[in-house]
Amino acid sequence: MTISNDSRQMIDAYLEQVRKGLRGLREEDAREIVEELRSHILDRAGSGGEVTPAGVGSALAALGDPEALASGYMTDDFLARAESTRMPWTILRAAFHWATLSVKGFFVLLFCVVGYMFGGAFFLAALIKPFNPKVGLWMLGNDTYSLALGMTDYKPQGHELLGWYLIPIGCALGGGTILLTTHFALWSIRRFRQARSAARIGRGLR
Amino acid sequence: MRRDDSRESDAPDKWEVQLRKGCLELAILASLWSGRLYGLEIIRRLESESKLTVSEGTVYPLLSRLKALGLVQSEWVESEAGHPRKYYALTPAGKQRALEMARIWSRFSSSLDLLLAPLGPAK
Repeated sequence: MTISNDSRQMIDAYLEQVRKGLRGLREEDAREIVEELRSHILDRAGSGGEVTPAGVGSALAALGDPEALASGYMTDDFLARAESTRMPWTILRAAFHWATLSVKGFFVLLFCVVGYMFGGAFFLAALIKPFNPKVGLWMLGNDTYSLALGMTDYKPQGHELLGWYLIPIGCALGGGTILLTTHFALWSIRRFRQARSAARIGRGLR
Repeated sequence: MRRDDSRESDAPDKWEVQLRKGCLELAILASLWSGRLYGLEIIRRLESESKLTVSEGTVYPLLSRLKALGLVQSEWVESEAGHPRKYYALTPAGKQRALEMARIWSRFSSSLDLLLAPLGPAK
């Protein structure tokens, strides 16, 4: 198969744009995607034995906008990882990527951050309680409550309400909040992925 | 309340998109049933055997997702064309998934055929 210089430059320029859009993926994954696309372009453009600029142009047009193509990989990668691992970190990464694409994604990210922070705080309170009596749900007077985590020298004025019950309650609330946040995030992500997939296939119908 | 005419006229297209979307994953898994294929071969098989014509930029990210889900595996193979090609093959989980989806599809399709029979043959 022979490739003209013009054809090679066209392919390299297109793949460079795809690679830019793949920032954030593991280097090995990004390289494999780019090499697979290069192989596809060469196969499609060089079916007659020679890769011409016209053939490359047609192959690139069929692949579509390089940024949109890269975005498809990125989103699918983040969302698939989030769904398969179900770990808060991968879910937050997926939500963050989604937030860069739409307002809805921003609100899902906000919800996840707040949910995981609250869940983490409840867990932390339960974990620290045996070592620091300041930790607990304090009634400060005038119907004012405060969940003191003992991170500062500030000593709440009032009395602590939960005592040792803070440990099981903190674990249950922490676990529940994290679980609920994860379920909501995965449900949102699944809907978002379905919508994106439908939109992409809609654009791809010929 | 009066319905929006333009939205109403879009409805069959949207329905077709949803239908194709639902089928694409099954179609790709089914295309790999008889053996490994590389991306362009999968696209050509979808076009020639199912008339499921989708953009090439749609198929590759989907293959990547199927791989991340453990339904397909891939390997690079040198070709006579002078460049390596990435071949995809079903994993045991992918075969299981394809069988389940095919079973559901057949059941759904035959039950719908009964319901559609009074409408006559599709034009």
